[in-house]
Formats: sequence, C-alpha cells, structure tokens
Amino acid sequence: MEYQEVIKEFNRLFIDVLDNEEIVLKEETTANDIEEWDSLTHIHLIVEIEKFFKIKFTAAEIEGFANVGAMCKFVASKTEA
Amino acid sequence: MSESTKGYRHKFTVSPETYSGFINVFKDENPLHTDEQFAKELGFDRVVMHGNILNGFLSFFVGQCLSRKNVMIINQQIDFHKPVFLNDVVELIAKVSFASEAVGITEYKYYFENQQKEKVAKGKITVKTM
Repeated sequence: MEYQEVIKEFNRLFIDVLDNEEIVLKEETTANDIEEWDSLTHIHLIVEIEKFFKIKFTAAEIEGFANVGAMCKFVASKTEA
Repeated sequence: MSESTKGYRHKFTVSPETYSGFINVFKDENPLHTDEQFAKELGFDRVVMHGNILNGFLSFFVGQCLSRKNVMIINQQIDFHKPVFLNDVVELIAKVSFASEAVGITEYKYYFENQQKEKVAKGKITVKTM
C-alpha cells in the first residue's frame, strides 16, 4: 500500500478511535499534538491499526516510531503488493 | 472454568445472594428488578435481574479464570438480548478473538447462554497484560 493511502487510513482510524473529527494527521504528528492520544488510546490505536492492515508490530518497533509518518512508512513497507 | 481450544466455559448461578448483594452494594432498586407486579406489567413473568450482574461474572472471568494474574480490563462491551431471572444458570463461553503482543492486549469475544441454551448476552472484553 502506498504511503499516502496508509496515512489516509490512519487518519480515519485516529478519528474513529480518538473520537475527534478534526484530526488531520501529518507526517510529523506525534502524541503531543493530539489531546486524546494518551497511553490508553495509544493501545487502542495500535490494535485497530494491526487489525485493519493485518500486520503485527513488536514492542520495539512501536517504541522506535518518532512520529505518525514513520509509522505509516513502516506500514506501507509491510503492506507492499 | 474449563479452558480448551474452543475457549473458556464457566457456569454461574444468579443466586439470591448474588441478587441481594448487588442491590445492597449498588442500591439499584428499580421496580423492574424488585417488583413482580411491575415486571409483569412490562411483559415479564418475574422480576428481571440487573444486567450488570453479568458484568460481575465477567470480572470473575478475567480476575480468577485466566492463567495470568497481571491483567486489567481496559474495555468491555455487552449487548443484552434476553432477560435473566433469579436462579437462572448462565454459562459464559469466551474465546480469544484477537491478540497484540506489542501492546499486551488480548480480546475475548464472549456470550452468556441460559439453561435453555438461549443466548442472553454477548460482547467483547479487552484485557491488558501489565
């Protein structure tokens, strides 16, 4: 899946999980930029991302993502056709 | 509680102690739960047990039946399909529906069925291993 498609799906998932219609993800977005993105909702986000993209993260991979863009690039690489 | 490849199963009785204990603790004395005549006017044969008694059974499942004890519930969802009555025996049937090792999450889909094998409630419970 292309990066732009991944971040678009991420945006949809973030809006749904965080219950905030105004979220517009950018490559540099981090948890500090979204009030609803806390330790609990982070878990829900990871679960929904794993389910939607049918991938599995490791704890080390998640800790290594500096921002949304890094996570989307990782997912794009994992879901290449 | 039995655990197998088909999941977990455990039978609970909605005993007078459970019923009165719930009312004593939470003070929900809505007549649907306490007044037989009122319950009959609403179309039930007897008073209906509090739906959240089933949530207590789910708490038992997570706290006492899982092999690991370092767990906490982070999400719980339940749909009530049929009423539960005093002295009903309801069986909880739960099965792992999703797991994420990265964030220590296990989701269980579950349902309760009564002694007539009717599905009285179903839902999903998400547990985090700490």
